[in-house]
Amino acid sequence: MSSDLRPDLRQQVTLLDLVDRVLNKGVVLSGDITLSVADVDLVYVGLRVLLASVATLEEQGMPVAIGDALR
Amino acid sequence: MIHVYGIVDELDSLPPLEGLDDAPLERRRVDDLELVVSEVPREEVTQEAVLRHAEVVEALMSRSRAVLPAQFSRPFSGDEELVSAVTAKAPELGQRLHRVRGCVELGLRVVAPKAETVPEAKSGAEYLRARLGEEHRRSQLVAQLDEPLARLSQETAGGAAGSDVFERAYLVRAEDVPTFINAVRELEAANPELSLACTGPWPPYSFGAETTK
Repeated sequence: MSSDLRPDLRQQVTLLDLVDRVLNKGVVLSGDITLSVADVDLVYVGLRVLLASVATLEEQGMPVAIGDALR
Repeated sequence: MIHVYGIVDELDSLPPLEGLDDAPLERRRVDDLELVVSEVPREEVTQEAVLRHAEVVEALMSRSRAVLPAQFSRPFSGDEELVSAVTAKAPELGQRLHRVRGCVELGLRVVAPKAETVPEAKSGAEYLRARLGEEHRRSQLVAQLDEPLARLSQETAGGAAGSDVFERAYLVRAEDVPTFINAVRELEAANPELSLACTGPWPPYSFGAETTK
């Protein structure tokens, strides 16, 4: 259960989800070789982006589901 | 070279952010579509670049009616290449943009517990039966988790069940997000042996192309 995950593990899950989305999902415009998660060095884990996204959505009055993944 | 962040619908104004390598963000119109791009000096993928890309997409999401995030890939050599690539896909991109309007993406990742140890098989056939039983149990479980969530979604993507992980993305109308979260909580309560992680709301990264449902 997500609530049982340790906070650092939750952050890793969310960061992995983020990097996976940016590199492997998203609309493909060029026909060029795409990159994969393995190409990116994930030693340092920054949560700035995720926190920013939570703040943005809260400003818009949208419910924030990320809480479970971050807290 | 040109890096594309995404295709936007009715973008208010550019967010007060810099793009990759701190280059200024720019709006570019191609066909009927508007793109947000920035010049990049070289092709380089770093974690910082990936996070910056994500940050820009996130900011665009809050300033426009809809965003189709672009996949982080090799940059375009110049305007000409960008225009021809986007023009070729313009009708499809326009449709997708319309489809994701008012929606966010929610991700679900389920980790199943290790299969109960199959009793020592006396024969190959017995072993196969046990394996098939396990497969069946797993696919039933996936269907049971997916069905109520798919009902609350406009579209779903992914979900190729790995050996013990199930991952899926759901395109959910913003107003349906609380209901979706409640449904995940119910599934969690009903399946205490599973690890469920629900992430998001994300920009609709997984819905740039035609998907199931």
